Amino acid sequence: MIIKIIFAFIATVAFGKLFYAPQKDLWPAGIVGAVGFGVYIYFMEALGYSSMLSNFMGTIALAVLSEYFARQFKEPVTVFSVPGFIPLVPGLPLYRAMNLILLNDYTQGLATFVDACLDAMAIALGILLVSGLAKVFKTSKTIIEEKRQEAGE
Amino acid sequence: MASAEIMAMTKEEVLEVALTAGKLLLCNGAETYRVEDTMLRICALRGMHTVSAFCTPSVILLSDESLLGFSRMYRVTNRTVDLNIISEINDFSFNLANNHQTYQEIMAFLNQKINKKARPAWVDVFCSAIAGGCFAVVLGGGVKEFVAALLGSFLSMAFLKAMSAFKPSSFWSTTMAGGIICAVTLGCKALAPDTSMELTIAGGIMPYLPGMAFTNGLRDYIAGDLISGNSRVGEAVFLVGGLVIGIATVLGIFYH
Repeated sequence: MIIKIIFAFIATVAFGKLFYAPQKDLWPAGIVGAVGFGVYIYFMEALGYSSMLSNFMGTIALAVLSEYFARQFKEPVTVFSVPGFIPLVPGLPLYRAMNLILLNDYTQGLATFVDACLDAMAIALGILLVSGLAKVFKTSKTIIEEKRQEAGE
Repeated sequence: MASAEIMAMTKEEVLEVALTAGKLLLCNGAETYRVEDTMLRICALRGMHTVSAFCTPSVILLSDESLLGFSRMYRVTNRTVDLNIISEINDFSFNLANNHQTYQEIMAFLNQKINKKARPAWVDVFCSAIAGGCFAVVLGGGVKEFVAALLGSFLSMAFLKAMSAFKPSSFWSTTMAGGIICAVTLGCKALAPDTSMELTIAGGIMPYLPGMAFTNGLRDYIAGDLISGNSRVGEAVFLVGGLVIGIATVLGIFYH
């Protein structure tokens, strides 16, 4: 498990480089990827949750962390979240589904495909929820600021 | 309040700066709301508050609400991913109010970004090889899977870089990449029969999965840019389809 997380870190850094991320943001992006994948594999293997729920939790963790890093390093969120969530992408179930369909096992193939789609949905939901929440947080900050200015006048 | 240099620009010049910045952002893979926000922010600095921007993955429109307004449009045909330029333009647009550069200097800065030379191809090839190999391990593979996936990603990316001068469509590129990775995996399996094929292939195709298009599409939905969201998620599904067709063709020939 530790080895997997370390490799997830290296892979995320390589991905950041592939997407031309700024040099100084490569290591934070790697941390985001490793944390997301770590949460995923912890929920999946240690706590025995379903793949979909683990993906969801992993995405929430990495999305929150990348929102935090984005404010810390004053960079767009995408710099961290795009390389960061790549380790969670359900490439393996997708391949399995295709392989099963190719071997004429349509029932099992479609079941695996639906699994892969659900994993992707879980990731999507995680990103949507956290970026929506970040927006609420940002707006509430400006509203408080305005209220304060009104009170000060 | 913007600096005197910004206020001295004419309206056309401000629109030109805004459109060029938007063009840079969109061509390098920024989300739709970031492109629109940046263009409107630059225009607002000069006091142009009635400007509207509309942007989808393939077009940027920048126009005025009033009948007297100017209108600019840019058709985006070639999109890549360059997070560095997004970050730089983001900084540039937020600091523009305190920027004491003249119009010519700003345009020179932006044009230098547009004409930025691509880095040597071996960096991309090397990175995708490392990423592919590492993902094979992340999915549960051992040394054999690592080497095989590394080789697959390396060869496919090297092939795509060699072909990039001919400007192939992204669908064609991912299909070929899938085919090459599958062929390399079959070769490795012939050499070392206990190599796990699914781990190798799933690791090797990781660099080609359209993660960027997918996340940006979702971010567009959240921001309310529904057209952009649809087209980006559609693009992602389309590219995954291409990848699967590439692998399935080679595997189908093998199983036959």
